[in-house]
Amino acid sequence: MNEFKLPDPGEGLLEADIVSWKVAVGDTVAVNDILLEIETAKSLVELPSPYAGVVLAILADEGATVEVGAPIIRIGRPDEASASVPSPSTSGAGPATPPAVAPASPASEALLVGYGAKSGTATRRPRKGQVADAPPAASVPAVAEPAPVTVPPAEPAPAQGAVAAVEPAPVPRAKPPVRRVARDLGVDLATVAPTGPGGTITADDVVAAAGGGSAPARAVSVPQDGERRVPLKGVRRQMFRSMTASLAVPQATAFVEVDVTATMQLIDTLKRRRDFTGLRVSPLAVFAKAACLAIERVPELNSRYDAASDEIVLPQDVNLGIAAATPRGLLVPNIKGANRMNLLELTRAVNDLVPLAREGKVPPAALSGGTFTITNIGVFGVDGGTPIPNEGEAAIMCLGTIRRKPWVVGTGEHERIEPRSVCTVTITFDHRLVDGEMGSKFLADVSTIMSDPALALLF
Amino acid sequence: MTEPAGTTATDPGDVPVQLLAPDGRRVDHPDFAFTGTDAEIAAHLRDMVLTRRIDTEATALQRKGELGLWPPLLGQEAAQIGSARATRDPDLVVPSYREHGVAWCLGVDPIDLLGTFRGTDMVDWPSRPDGFHLYSFVIGTQTLHGVGMAMALQREHRVGNDDAAANGAVVVYFGDGATSQGDVNEAFVFAASANAPVVFFCQNNQYAISEPTSLQSRIPLYRRAAGFGFPGVRVDGNDVLAVQAVTTWALERARRGGGPVLVEAFTYRMGAHTTSDDPSKYRTRDEEGEWGARDPIARVKAYLLSVGAIDQAWLDDLAAESEALAERLRAGCLALPEPLLADQWSNVYATTPDRLVRQREEYLAYEASFAEEAR
Amino acid sequence: MSTMTMAKALNAGLRRALADDPKVLLAGEDIGRLGGVFRITEGLQAEFGEDRVIDSPLGEAGIVGTAVGLALRGFRPVVEIQFDGFVYPAFDQIVSQVSRMRFRSHGRLGVPMVVRIPYGGGIGAIEHHSESPEAYFAHTPGLKVVTPSNPLDAYWMIQQAVADDDPVIFFEPKRRYHEKGEVDVEAEPLPLYSARVVTPGTDATLLTYGPMVRTCVQAAVAAAEEGRSLEVVDLRSLSPLDDEAVFASVRRTGRAVVVHEAVGTLGLGAELAARIQQECFYELQAPVLRVTGYDLPYPPSRVEDGYLPDLDRVLDAVDRSLAH
Repeated sequence: MNEFKLPDPGEGLLEADIVSWKVAVGDTVAVNDILLEIETAKSLVELPSPYAGVVLAILADEGATVEVGAPIIRIGRPDEASASVPSPSTSGAGPATPPAVAPASPASEALLVGYGAKSGTATRRPRKGQVADAPPAASVPAVAEPAPVTVPPAEPAPAQGAVAAVEPAPVPRAKPPVRRVARDLGVDLATVAPTGPGGTITADDVVAAAGGGSAPARAVSVPQDGERRVPLKGVRRQMFRSMTASLAVPQATAFVEVDVTATMQLIDTLKRRRDFTGLRVSPLAVFAKAACLAIERVPELNSRYDAASDEIVLPQDVNLGIAAATPRGLLVPNIKGANRMNLLELTRAVNDLVPLAREGKVPPAALSGGTFTITNIGVFGVDGGTPIPNEGEAAIMCLGTIRRKPWVVGTGEHERIEPRSVCTVTITFDHRLVDGEMGSKFLADVSTIMSDPALALLF
Repeated sequence: MTEPAGTTATDPGDVPVQLLAPDGRRVDHPDFAFTGTDAEIAAHLRDMVLTRRIDTEATALQRKGELGLWPPLLGQEAAQIGSARATRDPDLVVPSYREHGVAWCLGVDPIDLLGTFRGTDMVDWPSRPDGFHLYSFVIGTQTLHGVGMAMALQREHRVGNDDAAANGAVVVYFGDGATSQGDVNEAFVFAASANAPVVFFCQNNQYAISEPTSLQSRIPLYRRAAGFGFPGVRVDGNDVLAVQAVTTWALERARRGGGPVLVEAFTYRMGAHTTSDDPSKYRTRDEEGEWGARDPIARVKAYLLSVGAIDQAWLDDLAAESEALAERLRAGCLALPEPLLADQWSNVYATTPDRLVRQREEYLAYEASFAEEAR
Repeated sequence: MSTMTMAKALNAGLRRALADDPKVLLAGEDIGRLGGVFRITEGLQAEFGEDRVIDSPLGEAGIVGTAVGLALRGFRPVVEIQFDGFVYPAFDQIVSQVSRMRFRSHGRLGVPMVVRIPYGGGIGAIEHHSESPEAYFAHTPGLKVVTPSNPLDAYWMIQQAVADDDPVIFFEPKRRYHEKGEVDVEAEPLPLYSARVVTPGTDATLLTYGPMVRTCVQAAVAAAEEGRSLEVVDLRSLSPLDDEAVFASVRRTGRAVVVHEAVGTLGLGAELAARIQQECFYELQAPVLRVTGYDLPYPPSRVEDGYLPDLDRVLDAVDRSLAH
């Protein structure tokens, strides 16, 4: 028994209407006898029979719209008549994909479904296991696409030790963002040991090299002649360089002693709050928030100088740098848009940053684009100092140790001395961009907020 | 001002050369004669019947979804058989894409015709590589190729030899619509300029898809040749005897070094342009009926029966042969091997460049990465 | 060894091709009696006859289409398109027929044809005489596209193209036709589809071809005076591109600048940039830059000097590359 499926009558049509059947169940048909007439979007077409035999069943009614590929008639031997159950489709949606009865060869079944525009699927073909496990069939291509282990023949083998004079030095392989990091950190890629796929240098490799790491090549050398020599590399080199650059900036420093008892009380309150659970709450976050609020009133503290256009640039956002002492040296990762964060968000951001800095895993993007820096020297037990602004920034502010000190409180006849939590806040600013008045106002605002955080509501 | 002559005025040459009328009577013509035997005419009948059967089967195969497309030659059997039978080695034949009857005469296995329409292959004739060029689907492009081949024959010293059997010419087939293409007109120019041994055989079947010939040309097509400086002849394309006589004359002339000729076989495309076309949208059943009355096969059958050159037994044998051929064609179509994409890289260049070799290997690796059988 | 212009070198190469193989034919407008509007085919008809050096009627489709027929019959036609801007009437024959005949015939029918096209600007010409259409052909599978930049390459590459069984589109930089160079007619030539490092360098690679090779060499000289070492690579073959030579150079220098007269968008530079970033991603110090014709139809000749890449534009791109 053969089942005839509606073929594509021409050029990409997906369905057709049955106009009229020219045969009936029980008729004997020869090959090429016209079975039915269909109407497509283009024209009326008569369909000839691919089979000779007896019509066993008609599977689509006149007037029905049938999809290409749907079975429309069964033709076979007379003795097969009882086996087939006619189930004419109703008009409207044609039957779904045809059942497994296969006429002729599998190849022609695909073609009987027609040459129509393939509707496509919305699912991917299943792959075998890992893609990387499937090697190319037969001969391995001479130069593969990014297969990890293929080394292009033209590249000289990276030689350790002696390199022949005529051999060019191996080219360090690193993708563009990594090269940027290397440049920012002052790392020569040729000195970095690559750990990435295909012998490429990763950002971590660069940062590790910058920090002095544990690579023996960068180890401190054995003391000789009563002196120790340490090569100036990585972060330390960067610090050397940027501090040298800051000599060109005329700087002024101002400081203020602040009674931060109210801040400490606020911190206690915050620690008990559910939304601060699990977070390390410290004065640094309040300090950071105060800095951002104060910047709104004196935005010059957040500015920079654009030499190319000879203009002072005042960014909308505060990308707040927080100086961090890391095993590799001084790094200043910044929190982008700190001004748009509330105290909770700032606390979280600081919390996230601290472990990254400690492990030297600060992402390269966080190391650039800062606009204002704060530094907490209080953790070292130091009251204050003359901090140096981060290269390109207008100011830096540092928070000294919070001590219990005798403090004059109250007024008039209630004036008395009480132990209060007190610290010194210091700013250094670029006097080309910030004048004394601005600096002092800024400092005063910070002081106001730190001494009475409720007054932050005024900002 | 009077119209210059030769534009709209009628010309005796407008009447197609005819040697066998639609009712089967032999007719005389002052310039042309069919000198073959009745046995040869019977052979033509057989050719035409089998060609028509191939055509009908292929059309049915398309309707069954076994071919994506088929351009039928129904009605044009005489034009193709008559002209093809006028050729002999070392002539070269260049078809367009509808010359299934020409292919039949030149020994191409009809199954070879199917691959390109089934999508399993490009065009090729494994069964007769030399002398019969591939089908061309860019309209008219093959006329330039034919002229180039004729120029090659000249350089091969196969034109104008005293030993006529050593001479050859090119027959290039195209339709009425093609005569509007730039390439065809350039072919006329180049052929005339080089005096190339080429017979331009135009089957004017009255339509280019839906467009009647009157849309292509204001004058009968055979007259275009005069504008380019060589002779044109209009022949009854449904008269196999006249077609053969005219084509023979044109080929002999070309082989001798007489240069190009344009033969306009005036015929009718009884079927659609292709199986994707619906002629009911642009022509009438009446018109089709008129031309049906001039059927090329009917008149030959009538003639041969009238002179007793064939009988019913002969016709029954032919019918049986036709059935067998049809069966073979159907089976052959279904048995055409499915192509592999992986095989497509090796015939782009004479030596496959490295980049293509790598590309193919990447494709194979990609296909191998899937769980099911690679396509 | 002798000094000759590119025009003379092409003439000598064609003469040798005609002499070496009786199946070689030349065809084109005005190439016979006149010797070609640029005199590239001067004297050849007198020497080899009208059957082999053919003055064609005026029709590019006809010239290429009849050459297809000749090629199918075993001849090796070398056709000339008189000017770059006039190749378009023949575009269909080239793309639909010449490029595909082998593919559609299972490798049975080849078209061993050369289509010679003078191309490029810088000669003060009127419209349609200064085009650079090479990308259309490099984009077409089945064709090969080459372009010599100097007389030595011109002499050898035309012969190699004629001997190739594949169809070759042979672009001749017309502004260089009358420039002289040393041609050794006995030396072993470079393979046709190989690029050549014209001047070695370390700081950046200039990838170029045809008329721009000389411009790039001059740019390299100027750059050397600024203490920069530029490597100039003459691609010579646009399809197939000599990937290995390109990648080897760019991996060494880490910087690539592509220079061509043709319109930038979707020109050869785009393909080179794509391949380089894919294969040399980890060696690139800067993005691949392109110095090309602007996305305009070729402008009036009075402003063509601003349109065409020149030494300053090339070095400006090098500056930008090195600034990364």
